[in-house]
Amino acid sequence: MSLELRIDDLSKTYPNGVRALQNVTLTVPTGMFGLLGPNGAGKSTLMRTVATLQEADSGSITLNGLDVLREKDEVRKILGYLPQEFGVYPRVSAEDLLDHFAILKGVHKRSERKEVVAALLHRTNLYDVRKQKLGTFSGGMRQRFGIAQALLGNPRLIIVDEPTAGLDPGERVRFHNLLAEIGENVVVILSTHIVEDVSDLCSKMAIISFGRVLVEGDPAQAMQAIEGKIWQRVIPKEQLATYQQEHAVISTRLVAGKTVVHVFADERPDASFEPVPVSLEDVYFSTLHKAA
Amino acid sequence: MTNAIARFELRYHLKQPLFYILTALFFLLTFSAVTSDAVVIGGGVGNVNRNAPFVIMQFLLVMSVFGVLTTTAFVANAVHRDFELGTDALFFSSPIRLWQYLVGRFLGSFAVGVMVYLGVVLAIMIGSLMPWIDKERLGPFALKPYVFSLFFIVVPTLFLIGAIFFSVAALTRSMMATYSSVVAFFVLYFVSRALMRDIENERIVSVLDPFGVSSFFLATRYWTVFQKNTQILPMGGPFLLNRILWVAIGLLVLGITLWKFDPTKSFRAPKSARNLGGGEPAPLPDSSPSARLGMTQTFGRAASLRQYLATTRIETKAVIKSIPFVIIVLLGVFNIWGNSVAVGRAFGTPLYPVTAVMVRVINNAFALFAVIIAAFYAGDLVFRERTLRLNEVTDAMPVPTWVLWAAKLTALAIISAISIAVAMLTTLTIQTAKGFHHYELGVYGKGLVLEIAPIVLLLAGLAFTLQILLNNKYLGFFGMLLYVVLDSALPALNLEHRLYSFASTPPGDYSDMNGWGHFVIPRLVFFTYWMLFTAMLIVAGHLFWVRGTDAAFRQRVRAARARLSGPAAAALAFCLLAFVATGCYIYYNTNVLNEYRTTKDSERRQADAEKKYKKFQGLPQPRITAVKADVDLDPERRALDIRGVYTIVNKTAKPIADVHVTYNSDLAVADVTIPGAKIRSDDKQAGYRMYTLAQPLAPGATLPMSFHMRYAARGFVNGQSNTNVVENGTFINNFGYFPHLGYNEHIELEDRNKRRKYGLAPIERMKPQSDLQARMNNQISREADWIDLDTTVSTSPDQIALAPGYLQRTWTANGRRYFHYKTTSPILAFWSYLSARYAVKRDTWSPLPSGEGGRRPGEGHESGEKLRPSSAASPHLLPEGEGPVAIEIYYDPKHPYNVDRMIYAVKKSLDYYTRNFSPYQHKQVRILEFPRYSTFAQSFPNTIPFSEGIGFIADLRDKEQIDYVFYVTAHEVAHQWWAHQVIGGNVQGATMLVETMAQYSALMVMEKEYGREKMEKFLRYELDRYLRDRGDELVKEMPLSQVENQPYIHYRKGSLVMYALRDYIGEERVNAALRKFIRDHAFSGPPYTTAGELVRDFREVTPPEYQSVVTDLFEGIVLYDNQTREATATKRADGKYVVKLTVASTKLRSDAKGEEKPVPIDDWIDIGVFAAGKKENLGKPLFMEKRHITKPIESFEIVVSEKPARAGIDPYHKLIDRNPKDNTKSL
Repeated sequence: MSLELRIDDLSKTYPNGVRALQNVTLTVPTGMFGLLGPNGAGKSTLMRTVATLQEADSGSITLNGLDVLREKDEVRKILGYLPQEFGVYPRVSAEDLLDHFAILKGVHKRSERKEVVAALLHRTNLYDVRKQKLGTFSGGMRQRFGIAQALLGNPRLIIVDEPTAGLDPGERVRFHNLLAEIGENVVVILSTHIVEDVSDLCSKMAIISFGRVLVEGDPAQAMQAIEGKIWQRVIPKEQLATYQQEHAVISTRLVAGKTVVHVFADERPDASFEPVPVSLEDVYFSTLHKAA
Repeated sequence: MTNAIARFELRYHLKQPLFYILTALFFLLTFSAVTSDAVVIGGGVGNVNRNAPFVIMQFLLVMSVFGVLTTTAFVANAVHRDFELGTDALFFSSPIRLWQYLVGRFLGSFAVGVMVYLGVVLAIMIGSLMPWIDKERLGPFALKPYVFSLFFIVVPTLFLIGAIFFSVAALTRSMMATYSSVVAFFVLYFVSRALMRDIENERIVSVLDPFGVSSFFLATRYWTVFQKNTQILPMGGPFLLNRILWVAIGLLVLGITLWKFDPTKSFRAPKSARNLGGGEPAPLPDSSPSARLGMTQTFGRAASLRQYLATTRIETKAVIKSIPFVIIVLLGVFNIWGNSVAVGRAFGTPLYPVTAVMVRVINNAFALFAVIIAAFYAGDLVFRERTLRLNEVTDAMPVPTWVLWAAKLTALAIISAISIAVAMLTTLTIQTAKGFHHYELGVYGKGLVLEIAPIVLLLAGLAFTLQILLNNKYLGFFGMLLYVVLDSALPALNLEHRLYSFASTPPGDYSDMNGWGHFVIPRLVFFTYWMLFTAMLIVAGHLFWVRGTDAAFRQRVRAARARLSGPAAAALAFCLLAFVATGCYIYYNTNVLNEYRTTKDSERRQADAEKKYKKFQGLPQPRITAVKADVDLDPERRALDIRGVYTIVNKTAKPIADVHVTYNSDLAVADVTIPGAKIRSDDKQAGYRMYTLAQPLAPGATLPMSFHMRYAARGFVNGQSNTNVVENGTFINNFGYFPHLGYNEHIELEDRNKRRKYGLAPIERMKPQSDLQARMNNQISREADWIDLDTTVSTSPDQIALAPGYLQRTWTANGRRYFHYKTTSPILAFWSYLSARYAVKRDTWSPLPSGEGGRRPGEGHESGEKLRPSSAASPHLLPEGEGPVAIEIYYDPKHPYNVDRMIYAVKKSLDYYTRNFSPYQHKQVRILEFPRYSTFAQSFPNTIPFSEGIGFIADLRDKEQIDYVFYVTAHEVAHQWWAHQVIGGNVQGATMLVETMAQYSALMVMEKEYGREKMEKFLRYELDRYLRDRGDELVKEMPLSQVENQPYIHYRKGSLVMYALRDYIGEERVNAALRKFIRDHAFSGPPYTTAGELVRDFREVTPPEYQSVVTDLFEGIVLYDNQTREATATKRADGKYVVKLTVASTKLRSDAKGEEKPVPIDDWIDIGVFAAGKKENLGKPLFMEKRHITKPIESFEIVVSEKPARAGIDPYHKLIDRNPKDNTKSL
């Protein structure tokens, strides 16, 4: 059965006046869905709302007809959630805590639980340290533990918020593989500000900023849309301000100590600019640039 | 630079709420303590001015102990902040020097810590301006005590605390380690105090106390009211040393920190971050994840239950393994241990660790710790996931909301139960260690269930729901604190009903004799009531439990509304109904079946009665000459019924027309019939009834006055219930349950502040001895002189009932047991009834020297007394056929320990008193145990009720200890002479005749039995208590011969005075005077004799050179400061030793307020030289002589033939000396 999560006209304003979500409407199909956005864009608010942890002021979320905002208990049964920041009981071992979470997830048969926990620890490469107290885990190990717990049960809606933060490249690759594998049959929402994660994994994506959805769709299509409109040039650092005034500079970065700017323009601005193949990053930055 | 950092730090803290919260808290606490008596900081203010320098110093001193928590919060934050926020790198990469950074941070945060104490200062200043404060209790404003206390008490203590915990925080960079070390600090502090309790040298102990508390109280323990109102602690002695020592230690600690601090060590570094998950990815399994991770999930009620149990387990384990839990429990265990050593000690002698005592120890020493654990972990548990940032994970789990909090609440209950179980194991261990193997697990179980566990659980529930509802850990703690403060302030607001005092139950103590008696039912009912209330709170907690990340109030209300359905609503409704129903039942008992009366109501009633009837105080009334009474006790129903007749006689010279009868207004029936008399008025509230006789009662004429009184307990009461009439161990006397003639001044309010409040004139505590009118009454009774008593008492068939007099007959009728008692010689109008299931031990004393250890006449008396033995006392005092005296001890079968000791003490007492004073007027001495609702022993004619709480469970196995069972028994037996043979008029000095003479008699019996060395130990306690308690005098200190029923004078000083008198003029002379006094005054009056007449008799036997001693001892308040300045010994050629001594003596005369003036010394004082003794005791005296001291400093040269070890002035401290320890010096 194919799943579809519909977010319809969702809004949320915090008591301090911050409008975290403004009329957000998204359709998330089965498979990996990337949610891109800068810090403070409202990604986490959106994720938490889908993960039953936060109320919305208005709008609705449904998962194949299941009202996510009202029937939280039902949602939780099929939910796997890895929050952006999370801690652990420092004096409990990885194995024991995962076992405990398995109980909370409704896995009550001891033998089954043992098997599942062992499998997940293997998957997240924590099996060797399963007896170690969680308090002694490094950031990466803890993150992997978080992934393990999110996969407990049979989650059909998986929400992972900045999952690769703190992982080394090898761990990241393995995590991606794991997600890709799971993502075949379930809805996976991956929130991140690392564009590469999305381009590597996701067949669908959205970019949000200041609580609004700026772009929604297929990463490939999005890249195609700006094909031939991104230009690059190396500039002296002092002139950055001038360039920013004169051109639509969407991103700046250092390459081997030199400042490289990407500019969005329908035509080549001048000869000193050269065309570059479009990356998802350019989509991301040009979208944010337009919105700003 | 340092300055700038310090100022920055200070400003930072002044912007944080913590500073204001703490200052407000300190202000409120102190303000309440200053303006009311409801809140107490470090001992009550007593009669000292509310703004007295002593009070200011004491408040700031006690509050400075809290500085361990408050100051640590600031200084630890000063170091943690940077590491926590990651700004450490900013600082340590800047050009600031490390020491500047540290010192600046320390000074700034330490200054904030000190500023919190301005809350205390302001509270005292502002509090004493409040209009409702009695102006009489305010001294003039003075800034000096505040400045002194801040700079010499608060600042040094906080500096030390700040230095220590700043260092711990800086060196460990761990908040957990810092707070654990705070707890460890307290543990060490209390343990070291417990360990040093036995160290004789108080000065060392006091110097080592980091808070300076011991040195402060050592320096001020004997301060009088006058001193407390006017003086500041003099800077010097142990206190100064203490302050210097600890500031130096603080500096040292800071120095070490500056030296050891390593800024590169990061905060909260992972302990062993072995990155085992390394680079090479494990081979990925090729099966699909869902197949690999396939699992069955089940949800529903059974699954929820399993989730609940699993969560409870993990929460409980987390708490048990956490350091603060272990530390607080250990702290409690140590406190139990310390308390079990101290509990019930009298004169240093411990009690047997019977279970009842151990349960009380747990209650006193551990319950608070259990509550602290519950309150602390309530916050910890409620916020655990949020603190760890695990809440987003767990809240998104498919778990019903109730599981999340219920598991935590259950864990809280389990850890409370565990801590209480640990307490019980501790006391069981103590019992075993003391060789006491009578474990009463039933008593433990009942005690913990009735006294401790429910209260801890209720408070845990309250703390838990406060944490949920207030949704902030610190607000939650503050809420608990506020509850404690408000709850203790309720009585001051005249709100005393327990229906609104959370977790409270009517008071009631366990007694081995009576068990929990009638306290069980009210306790269970009140616990049910509060459990239901807590259940409602818990439902509210469920409704407002924060799940998810949205904790806005609006959101929580919305969630609560959504959750208020089905089971939650039903539970709430059920609890509410049951709560209201239980409340009604309580109200019915406390306010309908019984009268609910607050302390203020009672006071007002007393004041009203006094205002209405005091005018009749001098009204001539007939006097009782004989009492006949049938008393029916109904122990099971806690009721008694009295029918009796007084024979009343007009002993005045004029006819009496009106008879005024007073009675206890709580009695169910109080009928009085006087033939032909009419009731003119009856004030049922005051219990005051006036009769007009048909014909005035002519002088010398007699009337029978018959009465029927009935008392019956109904349901339960809100306050203190009647503990006189109980199921097993009834003990009543005639004052409470019989009718009385004339105005009863015992109902008057005594507290002079209260009297002022109710507009009553200051009370004259006692009339002077010159008041002949007052001397027409004896000290015991204003309505009778010497009477005959004939009484029959009945009780349940398994109990024995007793009253003064001799048993005439006992029989059983109507399933009740009857005892008929009758006196054969006149007694005072003071009699009692006791009834219990007693075991009885009997023995006989014969006046002839008995075989068992009795000394022959003359033996044991001090040699050198040349007075001839006195002739026998006047013959009319001899009871017919003076012969053997029956001794009977009626005791609870559980308490056989000291019964033989009591019998022995009775025999020894009878030996001494009959030989030295006069014959014993009765043929019997009975000691009767009664429940420990009161802890005293009291002497009625031939009958001595003795509380189970003192003598019966005293542990006398260690022969080194003072045998106070022997002492108390001897004292009470002595009252058969001092009170029951000779009684003084109701004027100043009356209690000297009764209590001081009983003390003297007991001292003599004890000395014969235990020797002089033990007496010194005993008298040291007496001296200490006299000096301490005189500081609490409310009105004025009287000389002994004018004592106004002041226990510290008639017992404590009395012992010292009589022992000194005996020392100056000799035992035989003292006893000769006493014999004469008895001969002159026994069984006589009115008018009754006075202490002045006894002093006159003492003077007659005192040689001229010691007449001034008698004056000082009995008619003045004289203190000495004797001291040996220098003492050397040199060996002479002939093998003898020359001891050279320089001694200093100051003599002080105190006025009634404690203001002392030096007076010229002109006294005979002991000079002694001693051989080496064991431990700190003096050895064998090599030289002992009274020397006439006339100069402040005198030198002596003494030759002794053996090797001397110690020498000095007044070595046995027979004189009243505040510092007896410097009287002698090692050679």
